Amino acid sequence: MIRGILGLGMLLVAASVVRAENVDLSTVPTRNTVQLTIYNSEDLTLVRETRKVSFKPGANPLQFSWANTLIDPTSVELRFLTHKDKLTLLDATFPHAKPQMVYWNVQSEMDGEAMVEITYFTSGISWSADYLCIANPAETDMGLEGFVRVHNNSGEEYEDAQVRLVVGRINLVQKIAELARITPQQVEELDDTERGKFKKDALVLAIEAPLLTAQSSARKSRSEEPKQVAKEGLGEYFIYTIEGTETIRNGWSKRMRSLEAAKVPLKIQYRYRLAEYGDQLVRMYLLTNDKDSKLGTTPLPDGIVRVFRENGRDGLSFLVAQSVKYIPIGDKIELNLGPDPEVIFELIKLRTWRDNLWMQLHGANVFRKVGEAGVVVQVNSSVVGWDDHTLYTQRVRNYTKKPIDLEVRRAFGGHVVFRSELPAKNHDYQTVEYTATVKPAEKVNLLYEIIQHQGWLAKQNNVTIEKAQVKP
Amino acid sequence: MRYRTLALWSLVAAAISALPATAMARIKLITLPVRERAEIQLDNPGATLVEEERIVPLVKGVNQVDFSWANTQIDPNTIVFRVIAGADGEAPKATAKPAAAKETKPLDVKVLSVSYPPNEAALVWQVSSSDSGSARVRISYLLGNLTKSFNYRAVATNDEKALILSEYMRIQNLANESFGSTGLWAGFGPRFLKPIGINETKEMLVKKFTEVPVKKTYTCDPQAHGYLDRPQNKLLVPMHYVLKNNKANRLGVAPLQYGKVRIFQDDGHGGTAFIGEDWGKFTPLDDEMRLYVGVAQDVVVKRTIDKNQQHRIAGNLFDREVVIKFEIENFKDKAVVLDISENVRAIRNELYGNNGRDIQWELGKDTTFVEGSDKEKSTFEQLVFHIKLPARGADTKAEKIVHKLHLLIKNEW
Repeated sequence: MIRGILGLGMLLVAASVVRAENVDLSTVPTRNTVQLTIYNSEDLTLVRETRKVSFKPGANPLQFSWANTLIDPTSVELRFLTHKDKLTLLDATFPHAKPQMVYWNVQSEMDGEAMVEITYFTSGISWSADYLCIANPAETDMGLEGFVRVHNNSGEEYEDAQVRLVVGRINLVQKIAELARITPQQVEELDDTERGKFKKDALVLAIEAPLLTAQSSARKSRSEEPKQVAKEGLGEYFIYTIEGTETIRNGWSKRMRSLEAAKVPLKIQYRYRLAEYGDQLVRMYLLTNDKDSKLGTTPLPDGIVRVFRENGRDGLSFLVAQSVKYIPIGDKIELNLGPDPEVIFELIKLRTWRDNLWMQLHGANVFRKVGEAGVVVQVNSSVVGWDDHTLYTQRVRNYTKKPIDLEVRRAFGGHVVFRSELPAKNHDYQTVEYTATVKPAEKVNLLYEIIQHQGWLAKQNNVTIEKAQVKP
Repeated sequence: MRYRTLALWSLVAAAISALPATAMARIKLITLPVRERAEIQLDNPGATLVEEERIVPLVKGVNQVDFSWANTQIDPNTIVFRVIAGADGEAPKATAKPAAAKETKPLDVKVLSVSYPPNEAALVWQVSSSDSGSARVRISYLLGNLTKSFNYRAVATNDEKALILSEYMRIQNLANESFGSTGLWAGFGPRFLKPIGINETKEMLVKKFTEVPVKKTYTCDPQAHGYLDRPQNKLLVPMHYVLKNNKANRLGVAPLQYGKVRIFQDDGHGGTAFIGEDWGKFTPLDDEMRLYVGVAQDVVVKRTIDKNQQHRIAGNLFDREVVIKFEIENFKDKAVVLDISENVRAIRNELYGNNGRDIQWELGKDTTFVEGSDKEKSTFEQLVFHIKLPARGADTKAEKIVHKLHLLIKNEW
């Protein structure tokens, strides 16, 4: 394991003179507090750390270095938290020979200690969310736990850090890991506008949250209780702040519970949607991220949901592991459990036929309908328009012990009429959605006829629903 | 290198206030809670869930519980740690204090966090306990390389009217972890309690169905089964055993799982003879499992196109007329039923090419299948007819039976 070396050194050399090339003496002010703001949509973490530094009147050189870490050199900034009026940052130098280092020259009008804040972006720290759902045996409700897991592969140990997690997507024009691997000189060659925008955007998200003081940082959270994760909205983002401080060693990851809800009501629906779930009827758990469902305190960040069910024999059954996208407060949580072997879903074509056949005379703009009384259709003509009729039954057999709610969406290309007595509606211009309830041990045939206008008769590209009785 | 493939360690070096510092300590005292109970849930078609229970000694305060594995395919992201009631259904108990307390108080045990060390197949739970005592914990995880499959043994009676169907579940343990007496459940059927060792395969009888009526079918279908002798137009006639998965046919308990079915027949002399095997498809309730046993060479079916004619309606629009003739001989010494199956669309494609359109057709007057097609088995383009064939005569000669399928294919161009 490569340990990162992150250090702030104060060079005890006359400030106005050129630094010694080979012989240096320095003091190393230790980190007082550190705050990590981790963005899960990008490989980006904003680090804000404070250190106490003693200044003497006149010029004070400071050296900040970050060997073997993934810090973006363009992002390193120094601010004075105390004695702002007496301390001035004169310049910053990135020495050519030492790529992961910056020298600051600070002009001081005081002799004493001041608190400084150093901020920078690093990559290699990330966080992810995951969820554990355990449905009750009757599948009427479930326990839902959300977790956040922080991964530290940054090369640096962050001890007793206040950890804040940003839920949301930020815009970055360049990857931090990429910037961390080039020299500051090369960074200067980058497009200034883009670089500036990137820093500005991310710093906006530095969020005006107070950094923990040394005292508050030292305060441990209630160590025998799971840590609380405070959640608050900020513009397009949501911030999770983990209670107290955390130490996440380099190479380790740590997972903490971020939310817990018991008896979250769930609904079961069987769905057929070719584009979303493939050519199969799938069983869904449907929940809502709202207060009525004992959730709704926070959007749910992207993550893996692992779903189990209490099997009624003092154990669990594994149902599915599924990725979910960011779920806003109030939105639905849809968990696809896959096909149910106890529900058989078959689409059977019962009959096909054609009618309304139209011919066009060769070389003439003359059309004749076949079979129309008194009309003679010449030999030198071709079929140019017709209607295809197909009669389908959607056969569903329910071998479960409960009635099932079914929702079917089918898409039809071309100019189509959907004729049926089913409760159907247009989901979109070419997709029909219909629903049904199938009782236990029941076999139902959901009949519908598709009329497809073809050739010359196809005037549109959409589906029209026609309520009418169809017979097998 | 660990000595065990799976280990749970409970660190009892007093209450831990800062996990990482402790985790890095070089000197540790650990207890090794043994596996008290294990369950392997095989009900998910694509994943095997292992649940194991261990009694973990905890001290008052924060405890570190390590879980590690080596050379096994545990998915660390699926590991669930739950504190459960004891075997007696009660909450975990604090250790009784000899002098003062006669009654023990339930422990309040909470998982604070989980840490994942780098480059190690392990994780560390930080668990708080309200008092010193033992907690029964259940650890669940998905384990790879522990798989199940199904197979069947069918023994038909000598007259092939019924059979005994035995369904077996076979568990193969290549997970590099042995399990002592472990509950095994496939999602249906009985729950087994068996040990299963490393690299062991265990086969268990899930259910034995007796006196299951079996239907023996002979089917000719040029599209599905092809020809036995193409120049002579002789169709291949496979013989199937058909089992219906419902209560009336002494099955119907659960869907029949996909698996190999080995079929034997009572030889009438107290023994059995192997007569064939087939893959039985997943068969839901009320569906049929068709098992291809072998080719029936004593039922000869010759198929010829007897008529192929088209009638112009207008321009390039035609109705087409096709007659297919079947000449059938049964050389068996008993009567059988032959299923003739034809796909009307395939006939159109064979004679006129595939225009990509669905087919519109009617049966013509020359059709000789008086009972019509089997409505349940036929679809809009697949026709199935049943023909009763008498046994060959006493003179060993077989009667030649001729049938015709007359099709009017409409509105084609």
